[in-house]
Amino acid sequence: MTGGPSRPSPAPRNGEHRTSHAHLDHRALLYASAEEFREAATAYFTEGAEAGDVLVAILPTRPPTAQHAAAPDAEAAAAPDAEAGAAPDAEAAAAPGAEGVGVPVGAEAVGLPGGSGIEVVDAAAWFSSPMRALAAFHERGRTDWWRRGRLRVLAEPPWGGRSPLEIVEWKRHESLMNVVFESTPTILTCAYDLRTVPADVLEDVGRTHPAFADAAAAWSSPSYTDPADFYAECNARPLDPPPRSAEHRRFTSGQLPDLRFFLTGRAERFGVPADRRLPFVLAANEVATAVIRNGGGRGDLWIWATADELVCELADPASRVEDRFLGHLPPRLDRPAEAAMWAVRCLCHIVEIRSDDRSGTRVRLHTRLDAP
Amino acid sequence: MSMLGDDGLPQPAAGAETGAVAVGAMRFGDHLALAFDGDEERYAVLAAYVRDGLESNHKIIYLADQEDADAVLTRLGTAFAATGIDVDVRAAARDGLLAPRPVIEAFMASGRFDPDATVDLLGTEIDLALVQGFKGVRITGETSFSLRGWPGTERFREFEHKCQGAFQAPGTRAMAICQYDRRWFGDDQLRLLLACHDGLVRVDDLHDDGVLRIAPTFTPPGLALSGAVDESTLPALRDALAVAARRDGHLCLDLSGLAFCDTEGLRAMLDTRHAGDGMDRQLVLRAVPGYLALMLRIAGWDRLPGVFVEEAAA
Repeated sequence: MTGGPSRPSPAPRNGEHRTSHAHLDHRALLYASAEEFREAATAYFTEGAEAGDVLVAILPTRPPTAQHAAAPDAEAAAAPDAEAGAAPDAEAAAAPGAEGVGVPVGAEAVGLPGGSGIEVVDAAAWFSSPMRALAAFHERGRTDWWRRGRLRVLAEPPWGGRSPLEIVEWKRHESLMNVVFESTPTILTCAYDLRTVPADVLEDVGRTHPAFADAAAAWSSPSYTDPADFYAECNARPLDPPPRSAEHRRFTSGQLPDLRFFLTGRAERFGVPADRRLPFVLAANEVATAVIRNGGGRGDLWIWATADELVCELADPASRVEDRFLGHLPPRLDRPAEAAMWAVRCLCHIVEIRSDDRSGTRVRLHTRLDAP
Repeated sequence: MSMLGDDGLPQPAAGAETGAVAVGAMRFGDHLALAFDGDEERYAVLAAYVRDGLESNHKIIYLADQEDADAVLTRLGTAFAATGIDVDVRAAARDGLLAPRPVIEAFMASGRFDPDATVDLLGTEIDLALVQGFKGVRITGETSFSLRGWPGTERFREFEHKCQGAFQAPGTRAMAICQYDRRWFGDDQLRLLLACHDGLVRVDDLHDDGVLRIAPTFTPPGLALSGAVDESTLPALRDALAVAARRDGHLCLDLSGLAFCDTEGLRAMLDTRHAGDGMDRQLVLRAVPGYLALMLRIAGWDRLPGVFVEEAAA
């Protein structure tokens, strides 16, 4: 781990090292006990309440994971806490879980006086895919949060059960937050439970967060990495070729209606839930359109299924795209190609792009077969 | 096509009006009703009817009621200009290809409207034109005179029914469009009259390539899109939007039949809010399918100023 809780340098005073509000202050909170989390969260939100910030907690709403339960003082975090009994009114609406599991663990742990007005969002739903989380942050921010003032978020993404690809993309997500929301009035603190978060995730926390924080202080991360470099690093791993079992189609102008018909059929056959088929076809069509209009004019498509995903790869052997946050920056009407890729990313679970002069461009779309 | 009622005239079929025939698809023997809400729609259909007639060497007889022959020519000329069709209606009238004439002279010469005599008269007109070397005859008439209470006009529906029989005769080389202004005819009355026709006529599609169909709409003004917008049909959509955006005022795009649309297509639609003369135009996206509403939200284009998104009922 680089630059973790070992606190390598003296801390600037919490929250006041930036005077400009229209700036992202992105910190990692590493904790090893429920008490530590509670203390930090309470201090964080108390400070925010005093400053009149918009307070949002994106935290697990159920005490689920086996690892979590096994942790020494997880119970304290999970147990209803009279002192914390501050589950704010907003929370009932924001956490639509069944009774008993709808109580936000993390929110309970945030021992704020009642009526503190923290909006509690269910982390499991919020962090269903990296792009969905990014788009949701953008959407909620622009339509609601930032209109009301400076935003102060405490977020704890779930890490259990993530595939290696998902881990890479979630790390990329953490790094991207620095770019996408750079000019927004936001303090975003990401919580990492040192007892449960996988070691390879913890290794990069300092590289994707410009600062660390705890209940008392915030300090810069010495290993913080330029998001463009981190992004390129995420793209460095080459894609395996499509499996032999993958079906192959070629496409060029005028053939997209047939291609969509083919893809719709495959999505159905491979068991993509009905409400996810059209989004998948829309995404594949956008990529194919980009190949036809902006790329080499003709491309190849491969489609196959794994145990839990439908995977569709579209390749443009003749042209290269610059993937520097491509499709990760909120769309603008005057940047159609980027807007299209933003839509593609939103419509899929994960989108991988690889592009070089030698072999052209490959865009691989992952669509989950199971629920969310 | 319909059951006959006690008066021996057709009764409207139960249920909604069925699909209308595009004016460009009309054939000899067709006796169709043009039920319009406004003059823009009316003259768009009639201009296409006249243009197709002139191109096919048909004689065109226009029976006018509310305006004189000259005004009819002016109306048609304006409609041609609006759609960019190069037809000289006055030259056509001079050459006898297009004959606008007052309905009162044609139908009320005896001082009384007589359905049988009028059908015979039309038959004579048609025969005469064919003898003169025309390849066919296109008739269109305003029907508002039937509401004037002139003697005999209470038998107007009987006349329409008899026309229907006459046009259906084998070997007919004529067709007709009867113009019904929905603002003047009551709904029930109109339904009875429409039942005496082969059906309704509508304006031609602006585009139909089997993937995307674009039809103009008039109330509200705009376009109805059905099928799919993708890289291959985008140019047609852009062309149609450019024409539609030339007119002043708000623009409504009916997307109820749009099964697929990519982001470029969506953007082309949204761009029309700026097109035109810089007036404050509202773009209404009507009956937006769920997936498109999703795309609009994803792209953050659902709250653009000047764009009103009306989602289709789930």
